[in-house]
Amino acid sequence: MVDNIKVSGTLIESYLICKRQAWFHLHKIIPFQDHPFLEIGRLIDETTYERDLKRINLESVQIDFIKTKEGEIVVGEIKKSSKSKDIAKMQLLYYLKVLKDLGVPSKGILSFPTERRREFVELTTEDEEKLKRIVKEIENLSNESFPPPLEKIPFCKNCAYKEFCFS
Amino acid sequence: MNEIIYIFKSGRLARKDNTIYFENDGERKFIPVENTKEIHIFGEITLNKDVLEFLSQKEIILHFYNYYEYYVGSFYPREHYNSGYITVSQARHYLDTNLRVSLAKKFVFGSISNMEKVVRYYNNRGVNLENILANLRNLKDNLDSIVDIPTLLALEGKSREIYYDSFNEILKDSQFFMDKRTRRPPKDSINALISFGNSLMYTTILSQIYKTHLDPRIGYLHESNFRSFSLNLDVSEIFKPIIVDRVIFSLVNRGVIGVDFFDKRLNGIYLSENGAKEFVKAFDERLNSTISHKTLGRNVSYRTLIRLELYKIEKHIIGENVYEPFISEW
Ligand code: SF4
Repeated sequence: MVDNIKVSGTLIESYLICKRQAWFHLHKIIPFQDHPFLEIGRLIDETTYERDLKRINLESVQIDFIKTKEGEIVVGEIKKSSKSKDIAKMQLLYYLKVLKDLGVPSKGILSFPTERRREFVELTTEDEEKLKRIVKEIENLSNESFPPPLEKIPFCKNCAYKEFCFS
Repeated sequence: MNEIIYIFKSGRLARKDNTIYFENDGERKFIPVENTKEIHIFGEITLNKDVLEFLSQKEIILHFYNYYEYYVGSFYPREHYNSGYITVSQARHYLDTNLRVSLAKKFVFGSISNMEKVVRYYNNRGVNLENILANLRNLKDNLDSIVDIPTLLALEGKSREIYYDSFNEILKDSQFFMDKRTRRPPKDSINALISFGNSLMYTTILSQIYKTHLDPRIGYLHESNFRSFSLNLDVSEIFKPIIVDRVIFSLVNRGVIGVDFFDKRLNGIYLSENGAKEFVKAFDERLNSTISHKTLGRNVSYRTLIRLELYKIEKHIIGENVYEPFISEW
């Protein structure tokens, strides 16, 4: 049904949060944009770290910022809150893997500007295996004819698909 | 949040840098483009491509009505929520007769059920409408056996005819007596009100469809000819009784609109500009009023409820949930 999927960082994030949400993304079922949380997300994107923000596009992956410190490449991922830290970390690890596959080894910083916190992230072989599995699963999901059934989870509360799911 | 603008005057819609303004008699009124999603135009307006380009960029829909308050057409900017998957599913449900009829039936079922709600409301308040209720129930029971669209449309027409019989009982002002439903042109005040209200309903739903992935050209009950919109006509059937007709009853029975709010033009009767303004005001208030939504767990306006209804249709055509139309609680 969905040809030529290119896995993006947001897709990894969606998939780990809620497979149903990922299925919607894969089928271009985009939520209604007046949603207040999307607005906040966009605002944070636009206003924080404006000084070191350099956005680069690698085919399907959009990386928030890259800094070189003493010759090292550091990839940053900015998040609203550390509530779903593990998921944000996986998303960042995915960027590191994409860069590594391109021959650019790098490290990552996870930052939560609203909480003034940062954390360093490094890619292990274990992570790489895990990511490979996730990408494969996403590919399988894209071939499913129906979205995974609705199951209420804590994420639903602030999810942009809430109106669609619970209509 | 989302402003809806109604322009009754004649004048010019123009662009100045990153703003749009409406000019009439040398007076300029700026339109808040960031918050506006639909503009309804009743007056004689001139505009140019520059304006349309900008409106398209801002995803603002223009709905045009002519001098007789008929809906003329819409400027529907290229769709921004595009999902090939949903479009294909929507077409599949149109092309397969069984799928099409079963979805179209839901609209008729919702329509008759909501007519019943309206009629029952007045029946419980001392207007004897038992006969009409029995006839509507009867038609609803016949729905099951229908297998083709023409029969379904005939039944839908019949239900409206029966339903309109209740209007003469519900409306206290005898000057709003309805002899029969007349459309183009409406021959009396009550028909003028119904035609005007229905036009507003069609455009309001079209504006909500724009916020979903559905293609408004593919309808199920009403014939799709792919040149004009028909899905909004289908969905309107569900909401007309509880939105348009309730607004009419309230305007007439509270004496807000009387026979002096109508003009005779071209062998028909039409709402005057003041009448149209009063109607639009009450209609907007009705759409902004809220009801509690069980599965969403919060209050939603009728306008949002329409969008949620469209999501239910999306979920039906992608095969997730069988669509059940919204039926008013009271
Ligand atoms: S509302 Fe809940 S179930 Fe639906 S996509 Fe969002 S998180 Fe998933």
